[in-house]
Amino acid sequence: MASTLRVVSGLLRASLVTSMQYRLDFVLDSIGGLLRTLAALGPIVLLFSVSDGVLGWTTADIAMVMGLYLVLHAFLASLIEPNLGAIVEAIRTGTLDFILLKPADAQLLTGVRQIKIAPLVDLPVGIALLGYGAWLSPPASPLDIAVAGLLAISGFFAIYGLWLLAICTSFFFVKVDNLRFLLWAAVDAGRWPLPVFARWIQWVLIVLVPIGVVTTFPVQALNGDWDGWLVGVGVAVGLAFLVGSRLAWLASLARYTSASS
Amino acid sequence: MRALRAMPDLFRVQIAVVVAYRAEFVIWMLTATLPLIMLALWSSVASGGPVAGISQDDFARYFAVTLVVRQLTSIWLVWIYSFEVRTGRLSNRLLKPLHPFYQDATAALAAMPLRVLVLIPVLAAVIWWRPTLLEMPEWSALVVAVPALILAWLLQFTIQICFAMTAFWIDKADGLFMVFFSFFAFFSGYVAPLSLFPDWSQPLLNALPFRAMHAVPTELVAGMTTADAALWDLAVGTAWLVGFAVLARVLWTKGLQRYGAFGG
Repeated sequence: MASTLRVVSGLLRASLVTSMQYRLDFVLDSIGGLLRTLAALGPIVLLFSVSDGVLGWTTADIAMVMGLYLVLHAFLASLIEPNLGAIVEAIRTGTLDFILLKPADAQLLTGVRQIKIAPLVDLPVGIALLGYGAWLSPPASPLDIAVAGLLAISGFFAIYGLWLLAICTSFFFVKVDNLRFLLWAAVDAGRWPLPVFARWIQWVLIVLVPIGVVTTFPVQALNGDWDGWLVGVGVAVGLAFLVGSRLAWLASLARYTSASS
Repeated sequence: MRALRAMPDLFRVQIAVVVAYRAEFVIWMLTATLPLIMLALWSSVASGGPVAGISQDDFARYFAVTLVVRQLTSIWLVWIYSFEVRTGRLSNRLLKPLHPFYQDATAALAAMPLRVLVLIPVLAAVIWWRPTLLEMPEWSALVVAVPALILAWLLQFTIQICFAMTAFWIDKADGLFMVFFSFFAFFSGYVAPLSLFPDWSQPLLNALPFRAMHAVPTELVAGMTTADAALWDLAVGTAWLVGFAVLARVLWTKGLQRYGAFGG
């Protein structure tokens, strides 16, 4: 266990250093990312200026949903997407074999090899929005905050599991990275509270592309608007995706005939 | 003249490319979910009554038209040039007797039939969801919408060319364009109708090129603006087009000199 942690921290450190190697690149990417994030906040600013909420969701709630989305997006774009995307490339070129030969768990290794620092600019913006929303809202009880945290983490792992499942398909079909773009497009809906969408779309965004669990459920919890059912669904979705993706990963590896042999 | 004679064949080739990569094209189209998400959002906002004079049906109509207009004016030259300049593949196209821009233009236009084909079921679903959104705009608005759409396409193409040309100098042409695109999405009426913007910002919005790139044809077909009002916007848009076209020409010439210096 300790050696695995050492490996992971070593890989993280290496990928961090690599990604900051080209200083100007890094600065330009970060500035560009920040500008894009700010421009993407345009609709929410517009929304706040013409109305004070949507379907019972106040300005504060919407700000927190968007904040959670940006935090998720920061990790998705900086950690999850580059690494899982690299797996597709590694399968195609056969370099996955080198990773599989190493004595640590392949899923862990492939999960931390690369980090793109630039998308992390979304993190402070997201946290700022979360803070703004929390400041506008009445204070939440510690239990509410704990439930919200649980749901957010469960949802985060669910999204990771979903991405990994999508990647596992590339063990069998070569050109499925387009699937990831579809996932991005679906995840984009998570910027807004779920009730904005039709019932069936809400279910899709909870069970199929669980972005709703990451962004909407925690805000509901912070407002005290949660019950056992909500927590149950949130945790169940997280566990299902995490376990399901791990099983799919192991099954895919078992069927994997390497490129060279 | 040579270009005109080559057009039919260019189109034939590009349509063959579109048909060959139809699966990927369709997936790319399906990733453009933003108008539908915005439709759901603004519809919900207007559920308690019109917002800034725009009702739920108006929003539904506006975003349904946005879907169509966006698909018909969507161009992705920047990535192509970014790749070709970096790898030197551009030399291949430069050797041909026809300016590469013709190939780029026909490639973008050839994708339209497939885009329209995929749009039909999506539009049908939206109309089935909100039948009241079907409302014919005035004839004058429809007539002006055609040149407005053409202008929007030309603006998109020319501006993309300008950004694509920066690939001769920097590695981040696509990054630069994506920053531009995110501002375009906001100020062009792609994510929200421009009439929602505060009054003090309207003169600024009218002066920027973004309006002509999306809002003008969309608002005309959605019945949110009249032909007379649109004529002024078209004039402003055309002025921007001329400016960008000149810039594109300058950048192309200067860029090519620099490209040649790499010994390609």
